[in-house]
Order: sequence, then C-alpha cells, then structure tokens
Amino acid sequence: MKKMATGFYAAIVVALMVWGFYQAIYVAPDEATMHEVQRIFYYHVPNAIVCFAFFAVSLLGSIGYLTFRRSRPDWAQMGDAWALAGAEVGVVFCTVVLITGPLWGRRAWGIWWTWDARLTTTLVLWLIYVSYLLLRRFAAGPQMQTLAAVLGIFGALDVPIVYMSNRWWRTQHPAPVFGGDADSGIKDPTMLAAFGWNVLAWFAWGVLILLLRYQVERKHQKNAAVEAHEALESHV
Amino acid sequence: MDQRAILDHQFTVAAYIATWVIQLGYLAYVGLKWRTAKRAERANSAGPR
Repeated sequence: MKKMATGFYAAIVVALMVWGFYQAIYVAPDEATMHEVQRIFYYHVPNAIVCFAFFAVSLLGSIGYLTFRRSRPDWAQMGDAWALAGAEVGVVFCTVVLITGPLWGRRAWGIWWTWDARLTTTLVLWLIYVSYLLLRRFAAGPQMQTLAAVLGIFGALDVPIVYMSNRWWRTQHPAPVFGGDADSGIKDPTMLAAFGWNVLAWFAWGVLILLLRYQVERKHQKNAAVEAHEALESHV
Repeated sequence: MDQRAILDHQFTVAAYIATWVIQLGYLAYVGLKWRTAKRAERANSAGPR
C-alpha cells in the first residue's frame, strides 16, 4: 500500500515536472529585454524557494532534536533525521540556484559573478550547510548530533538575511519579483502561470526526495542501534 | 537566428540540463544509500554475526 502511494505520488510529480517544463519553454512568452535566457527564471527562482523551505525543515528538525534528546530519544532521532534530510536536500536545491544564477547573469549582466549582497549571502548559506554535512560525515561520537543541530540552527539564521538582502542593500541582483515595491510582480498571466506551475512542480519533487532521504536516514539510525546493541551484547 | 539568440538558447539549455543533472544525480545517491541501508537491515534481521 505504501509502495503504491509512493508510486502514485511519483507519477504526479513527473506529470507536474513535464507540465512545468512545457509551460516554461513553450507557453510563456519571451521577456522583452532578456528574451529567451529569462526562461532560466522558471527553474532558478522555484529552486531557491524550495531550498529555503527545506532549510526551514532542517531548522525545525534541529530544534526538535535539542528539545527531546533527553526526554524522548525516539522523537529526537526523528528530529535529527528530518534535520539531516532537510539540510542535504536544501544544499542540492541551493547548488542548482548557484549554478543557474551565474548562467543567467552571464547573459543578462555580462558577468558570471559579483560579490553583491544577495549572491554572497546565498554562497555563505550554501557553505554553512555544506559544513553541516561535512560535520555529520566526519565527526563521530554522541556529541556529533548535538553539534550538528546547533550548527543547523545557526545556519538557518542566514535564510532571512538572504531573503531580505535585495531589500536591505542595493544589489546587482534584481529587486524582488514578489513583495517588493509597487511595480513588483509578474504582469503577464502566462508567465505567472508558468512560474506557479514550476514552483508547485519543484516543491512536489523536493518533497519526494526529502521523504526518501528521511526514510533512508531512519533505516540507517535503526541499523546503527541494532549494531551497537549487538556489540554491547558480545562484550558481556 | 543571430549570434545573441543562439547564445541565449545555449545558456538556457545549459541551465536546464545542469538542474536535472544535479537533481537526478542526488536521487541516484539517495537510491544507493537506500540499497546499502536495506542490505544492512537484512543482515541485522538474519541474526547476530
């Protein structure tokens, strides 16, 4: 039953991805000044939105781990698994943002990269969460999960800074598309629809790989617990 | 198609391909981790070694 539900959800995700791609490439019109290269927007911005959402999942998981690590160890382990899954999937989406952004910038601005506030804070966010994953990969012992949770919480503090950077500071990066000044927003309804479908499609895709990664981590935790128990028994 | 339009097209294709290479590459990585975890689970349920 669970397998069937996963398969059904995966089929919906694939359909959404195909529809989103069709909307972005064949339905939305060329933008007036940037022409075809503006279509990178339909992948770049949804990936950034989903990246923020999954770093929020990691934040909640880290808080959950620190809250329950003494009172409810099972809940704490679940929180830790969510924290790891959110951080890892968030890094994947952030990597996409950091690669598609310069490809778009090279054609739109004539440069691959500039050290402006939005780009720099996004790179710092990526580096913080890569260091989080490296900590989890190479550190050992009971303190590792606690240290990772603290780093995960500090890392999440950069998310609102990234979001607000092009409101707080003058940047090379364009002003906010939504929630900016009176002129912000997408005026063309087909462009808005293409954007909306791609946000939905990438969010659905992200949830699918997040759930898979969470389940893998839970299996890993259970296997580690069984192995630790066996090792203890063999020494008694 | 002028030179600018050709370059725009190539950069757009590159961005879309890069996105899918990263996303599917990560899905494959999770798949490999899943297989490893499943094997360890089977080994553990077979009893103590």
